[in-house]
Amino acid sequence: MTAPRVLLPVAGARQTAAGLGRALRAHRLAAVLTVVAFVTSAGFGLLAPLVLGGLVDDTLDGAGTETLPRTVVLLVVSAVGAGLALTAGVVLMSRVAESVLAGLREQVVTRALRLRSTEAEATGSGDLLSRVGDDVSVVTQAIGSTVPQVVQAGAVTVVTLGGIFGLDWRLGLAGLLALPVYVHGVRWYLPRSAPMYAAERRALGERAQALVGAMSGADTLRAYRAEADHVNRVNARSAEARDISIDVFHLLTRFGGSMNRAELVALSAILVTGYWLVDAGAITVGAATAAAWFFHRLFGPLGTLMMTFDSIQSAGASLARLVGVIDMPLPAEPASPARPRDAAVSIAGVSHAYDDGPLVLHGVSLDIEPGERVALVGATGAGKTTLASVVAGQLAASAGTVRVGGVTQDDLGDRGLRRQVALVSQDVHVFAGTLGADARLGRPDATDDEVLTALDRVGATGWVSALPDGLETVVGEGGRDLTAPQAQQLALARLVLVDPPVVILDEATAEAGSAGAHDLEAAAAAAVEGRTSLVVAHRLTQAATADRVVVMEAGRVVEQGTHDELVALDGGRYARLWRAWSDT
Amino acid sequence: MTAAAAPDGPPHGITGGGLLRRAFWRQRRRIALGMVLVSLHQLCEAMVPVVIGQVVDRAIAPSDRTALVVGIGAMVVLFAVLTYAWRFGARLIVAAEMNETHLLRVEVARRVLDPRDLDTDLRPGELLSLATSDADRAVDAVPAVSWVVAGVVGLVVSAVVLLRIDVLLGLVVLVGVPLVLGIVQLTTPLVARRTSDQQASLGRTAAAATDLVDGGRALRGLGAEEHAAQRFVASSQETLGLTLRAATWRGVSLGASTLLSGLFLAAVAATSGWFALQGRISIGELITVIGLAQFVAEPVALVGACLTAVAGALASARRLADLESLPHVAADGGAARGDGEPLTLRGLTYGSLTALDLDLARGELVGLVAHDQADTDALTTVLAGRARPVEVGGRVLVAGVPLTDLPVADVRASVLVEAHQVELFEGTVGDNLLLGRRDATAGQRDLALAASGADDVVASHPDGLERRLTDRGAGLSGGQRQRLGLARALLAEAPVLVLDEPTSAVDAVTEAQVADGLVDLRHADPDAATLVATHSPALLDRCDRVVVLAGGRVVAEGTHRHLLGTDPAYRSAVTR
Repeated sequence: MTAPRVLLPVAGARQTAAGLGRALRAHRLAAVLTVVAFVTSAGFGLLAPLVLGGLVDDTLDGAGTETLPRTVVLLVVSAVGAGLALTAGVVLMSRVAESVLAGLREQVVTRALRLRSTEAEATGSGDLLSRVGDDVSVVTQAIGSTVPQVVQAGAVTVVTLGGIFGLDWRLGLAGLLALPVYVHGVRWYLPRSAPMYAAERRALGERAQALVGAMSGADTLRAYRAEADHVNRVNARSAEARDISIDVFHLLTRFGGSMNRAELVALSAILVTGYWLVDAGAITVGAATAAAWFFHRLFGPLGTLMMTFDSIQSAGASLARLVGVIDMPLPAEPASPARPRDAAVSIAGVSHAYDDGPLVLHGVSLDIEPGERVALVGATGAGKTTLASVVAGQLAASAGTVRVGGVTQDDLGDRGLRRQVALVSQDVHVFAGTLGADARLGRPDATDDEVLTALDRVGATGWVSALPDGLETVVGEGGRDLTAPQAQQLALARLVLVDPPVVILDEATAEAGSAGAHDLEAAAAAAVEGRTSLVVAHRLTQAATADRVVVMEAGRVVEQGTHDELVALDGGRYARLWRAWSDT
Repeated sequence: MTAAAAPDGPPHGITGGGLLRRAFWRQRRRIALGMVLVSLHQLCEAMVPVVIGQVVDRAIAPSDRTALVVGIGAMVVLFAVLTYAWRFGARLIVAAEMNETHLLRVEVARRVLDPRDLDTDLRPGELLSLATSDADRAVDAVPAVSWVVAGVVGLVVSAVVLLRIDVLLGLVVLVGVPLVLGIVQLTTPLVARRTSDQQASLGRTAAAATDLVDGGRALRGLGAEEHAAQRFVASSQETLGLTLRAATWRGVSLGASTLLSGLFLAAVAATSGWFALQGRISIGELITVIGLAQFVAEPVALVGACLTAVAGALASARRLADLESLPHVAADGGAARGDGEPLTLRGLTYGSLTALDLDLARGELVGLVAHDQADTDALTTVLAGRARPVEVGGRVLVAGVPLTDLPVADVRASVLVEAHQVELFEGTVGDNLLLGRRDATAGQRDLALAASGADDVVASHPDGLERRLTDRGAGLSGGQRQRLGLARALLAEAPVLVLDEPTSAVDAVTEAQVADGLVDLRHADPDAATLVATHSPALLDRCDRVVVLAGGRVVAEGTHRHLLGTDPAYRSAVTR
């Protein structure tokens, strides 16, 4: 039943750029103003070395102190202008970048939540989780700090280089001599760093695995006296990650060295050119000094630009993965969704195969009356879960149709179907947040009373009323841990609040495991009361109390009838199962 | 230098500061040499504007070609020293940082995995963040202090140069720079507060994203994905609001710092320009002063930023030190192993247990049916040695010797508790099976696999025993995990084996097979005693004896069939 691993789509370069462009379009004006503000700030910043160069000339010319006030006033203007424009730039930049980021993460999560279960499972939850987790965080980091730095440093670099050219075009050319050295450095660095960063990420992932194993499994490791082995494993993984990180840093320092070389080349060239131009009388000593200062001021911004290549590159890769998810087409909704006549479910000739695998359902047909409670019974691999997923609309069957109230799933549309049919599956999840918020996930407008009533119906009142903060108790990750039966009761309470006409329960009580099993079975029975239900029964008591039992084997329905009829059936499969179960 | 050999640090009384001092001491060679080199680098950085001034003054202004060649040569030497000093100095410091972080990380793991169990309420997630982010942040102190030292060296060099040019000018710069930065620092708490609000909100939003997507199946099942998306959007927009507020403050702070350093430059230019125009200082000195006035801001800012980092490092170091100071749960006695009956409980009180008497004889397999799960949990906690001795009343004898008198290693070797929630580890299926018995033969392994019904699990994957488990077995079903856990427990061949609902997640047919396999394998060893908490009639029927717990004590005892006939409460608990 394991489908081959396919990854979620990744956008190509053009598609990624288009996605980014779409997101930026809403903030076009602010984006333009951001650039204007940064350029203005850099321009004012440039005024200072220029004015100071003038001061050098004045000193050499033996001018009096009367020129000094003008110099000082211009420096003050430069300071005020650069400061104000920088504030404007940073504020505008964050408006643009952070809004784009919020839009991206919202679209990714919204789209990820609407993936069909089968799409999500075919790719493994890992890929999807790493997109909404790691990729969003990489892009957040880039947009929050790297992009503003790059924009600002880029503005300063362009304006300053322009300034050097403004002093004398030959000084500008001298400054540009740094360019080939920088390019050489980047071209040396990037192909070497990418695989090393990949290795580092891998090593960090393995280290995290070992640590999570140690922290979560500590009791088990102690029980088996395997603590020392695991400490050694943590030690080995951590040492490996450390060694790779140190190697990565070595590479970085060599890259830093190439930046120093570029700085040296350009600074020396500017000084030599300045010497030559002053000697030829083409420029003043002050202009030569200003050019050197200009370039000295560029050390920082140029370093920023070089050092952020990596993170821009990885942010681009993450962005492509986000846009890939965002751009996944949604299933088409019918223009005018049909209304089901009642809560009957009719399954006709449904067959299914996962990808190119063998058929796991062979032309299954089954009619369920409104309000009827049907239990599906069969060994692992009989196709129960597949059939349940098809009926719930989480899986598109290879052949056959499913009608709800006489309307096909296609005519109902995705949304219409979800309103009619709910599925509670075995892997319960407690959502982080208050208990009340969790219970309300399917119906946000439910009142506290309605929530408490729903919890009561599934028999959760006992433990809920024992909670210190009642419905306000924080549960899930980072909050109070609920036991597996409690989590299942919560899942059933959500279902009660949503109040769908048709319910599919897929082994929702299978993991109960102990004294709680009885309570959970009662809770499940209460939750499906009055609804058309298809229950994948793991415990045969669930089958015994159903209106009808359907036995599946190897993708086919092999027996059906009431519990008593099937038990009485001589040599029947259900009768055999029941004896194995009860006759001990 | 590897950490495996590092001895256990003193378990008690280390402080956050002590932990940091130890970090510096352990890495002293690297740090000392590294500091010298990065300080040299800062010194060279300080000299760049000085050399520029000298070239203008001696070569460009008087058009002196020889001076130009000398000046450029000096620049080349300066850059060579600068770049190599940084390369090797920074490498040493980063190596010190990485090594120390590694040591701390492994020490946390060693503490958490101490055989005597750590007496703590910290959850796995919190322990993990101690081993990762706190270890990282605590050791941030190493580079931070190194850069502070380098920054101070850069400052001192600049100060000497400035004071030699002109005492008054030098004082203007040396007082002015810290003053300007001090004023800018006044805005830092404002920015920091907004930033930490924003970071917290961002963390919540990120957690909500993975949480919702992780539970996506449940959401889709209920048709709740749109509500969930709306909820996420609300969280994301709240984060956006806080981020923009923080960005506004950061923008104001950055603008203010640009403005103030610009004004300061104007002040320096006014003073030094006045002196230069009057001929009190040379043109080269003017250029040097202006260059240094701009440069000096760098080391001063560096010192400020690093002091903040040290404060953060101290907070993390304190948390790590607290972990090192936690006591252990288990008593680690020195008594020799006894040769009495495998397990004897007399008047045991702990948690919900009120007065539990229970005997487990050699070769016996006893079923345990608790009407309240809390009783089972309390009993397994005591038997696993995870209960604080002061909270346990009555007597727990292992082979006739009080459990708390025995060395903890002997307790674990004698009594094995396999928890209901089976924890698996990275590695292959085979590695996981051999967790408690690395020397088991293939024959023993196959017996345990067959007895627990886990042979199916192995056969269901083309890689069989070599199948690698990802995310600690996340790809396995509940029933598969459970059967692997059982196989692992059986393979360990513990004298006393305690199981908690070992067949709750397997189907009825398999359950009957597992009951047979489990009982037969344990009975094969005439000395092996087994206690199974279960509600499975198939399993209970195979037990030698069944003990029923209610209200924290034994309320009934007998064979499954006998209890079925005589105890209605028992019958309703186990029949289904």
